[in-house]
Amino acid sequence: MTIAAEFIGVSQVFGDFTAVDSIDLAITEGKLTTLLGPSGCGKTTSLRMLAGYSTPSSGEIRIGGTDMTRTAPEKRGLGMVFQSYALFPHLSVAENVAYGLKLRKVPKAQRDTTVMETLELVGLAHLAASKPKKLSGGQQQRVALARAIAIRPKLLLLDEPLSNLDARLRVQMRAEIRRIQSETGLTVVLVTHDQDEALEMSDDMVLMRAGRIMQQGSPQQVFPHPANRFVADFLGYENFLTAADGSLIAVRPEHLDVSAAAAAGSSDGLALTGTVTDVAYRGVDLLVTADAVDASGATVRLRSDSRSNATASIAIGDTVSLSAAAGRLVPIPA
Amino acid sequence: MKTRRPVAGALAVAGYIIMIVPILFVVATAFTAGETLRFPPQGLSLRWFEAALSYDPFIGALVSSLQLAVLATVIALLVGIPATLAIYRGKIPGKGLVEGLFLSPLIVPELVVGLALYQQLMIGLKLDNFETLLIGHTVLMLPYAVRVTGASLALADPALEEAARGLGASPLRAFFTVTLPMLRPGIFSAGLLSFVTSFNNVPLSLLLQSRDFRTLPVTMLDYVQQSYDPMVAAMATLILAGTVVIAIIAERTVGFARIFGGINR
Repeated sequence: MTIAAEFIGVSQVFGDFTAVDSIDLAITEGKLTTLLGPSGCGKTTSLRMLAGYSTPSSGEIRIGGTDMTRTAPEKRGLGMVFQSYALFPHLSVAENVAYGLKLRKVPKAQRDTTVMETLELVGLAHLAASKPKKLSGGQQQRVALARAIAIRPKLLLLDEPLSNLDARLRVQMRAEIRRIQSETGLTVVLVTHDQDEALEMSDDMVLMRAGRIMQQGSPQQVFPHPANRFVADFLGYENFLTAADGSLIAVRPEHLDVSAAAAAGSSDGLALTGTVTDVAYRGVDLLVTADAVDASGATVRLRSDSRSNATASIAIGDTVSLSAAAGRLVPIPA
Repeated sequence: MKTRRPVAGALAVAGYIIMIVPILFVVATAFTAGETLRFPPQGLSLRWFEAALSYDPFIGALVSSLQLAVLATVIALLVGIPATLAIYRGKIPGKGLVEGLFLSPLIVPELVVGLALYQQLMIGLKLDNFETLLIGHTVLMLPYAVRVTGASLALADPALEEAARGLGASPLRAFFTVTLPMLRPGIFSAGLLSFVTSFNNVPLSLLLQSRDFRTLPVTMLDYVQQSYDPMVAAMATLILAGTVVIAIIAERTVGFARIFGGINR
């Protein structure tokens, strides 16, 4: 596995705010790496330092093995897609895509061919002559992608590229970006705050919090084995319970079962008795919140099939038993 | 959606009447065949237009006014646009102060500016009156240059320049291929407003006039004080026609909505 880009002890400090706190990160060639985390975690700052739009306070950024920490963005040869798309409004779609090629002095005939090929790749060849303003959000997004890809960048950087699209289109574009990535073989770095997006799209995901990397690995590695409570929480493990030995255990809401009967005390799994404090009907499922009737008094949330007879009659104030199979209990390292 | 608001509607109509009717009187009297500036005009003729166009002080002053307005506009834009970029995009301390300085000519009475320029430049530095007027008019225009181009710069997404840089453009290249084209409507309207400001200016031009260099409005003012014939109405009508032509060109090329939209949006 070749390393396409690398952060070595990189920090970024704005006044008395440390946006990125001495991170070490390797980005693998030909893979899609996502930087995932809540707002203010340093993911966009990291991407902007990689692109050259901001210079780290300390540390080194290597691209293709070369130190580029202080190299101007125009000399890095990377393709960036901005959250706002940043299409040049005075240029047509084709001229937008040709912009980087013109600067590289690619002869006109070859330029035109590349522009059309790239627009075909994103499915917009028929709109080559349009102005960006006339395009829908999804189409503008594709033009921005095409413009960044046309220059055959060493890395394709995507800053929250899907956050301005409506929910349905967003899901379509995830697959679309994956397809483009596999067809072009580009190394992609994508910034997102959406864990579903990261899980679905990443080869490698990097979870960040307060300027530090919390965990890095493939979705298959990270999702079942969150490295700490923050990662588990961010990935949707809503229930955190303290085991008899004092260690922390996380359970996903869809992995808890609820029933009106007394707890069937299975020896290896989880069994709790609780009082229902809230029931929310959500179509496909019911979201039940209950407080455990034990010393911990832990609040648990679970999702249950809304059409199941066992749960249909659950109401606020009911005493219920909550259980989870042993395989569903995820230990969280302290 | 059309709302019926009779009071506002009536006021708007009254406003138009107050603004337009006096102009119509002037235009009508310009076409008179008679000898005096009187309404209704006596007969119809173009004789006063001929007279105005062959009256050397008017034509000389028109050329002077145009020279001054064009030159001052160019200088105001050349100073104002970089200043705007520095204020809105640059990392300079005391941005507000710099902006305030550039906008201050809007507040300071023109007579004060004129008197200061007269004392310091014409008397003090012994500049001739054209140079002094050029400086004075340029100063008067700077608020427009900074405000109007600033408004269109504020609307432009800063990521556009970053995108250009990322695609391989040097900062200068990014400015000329992306930022400047984005600012074009703003610059056009700033230029238009500046030109009109200079061309119509009386207080400063009156204070800084000389026998050799006098602007058209000042010359017309002088003329009206001495004689009361319709030639001045004919000249005013010609200026009005010129202004309308400029307005039409502006509407056709950029559009008022885009020119003035920069200020209102």
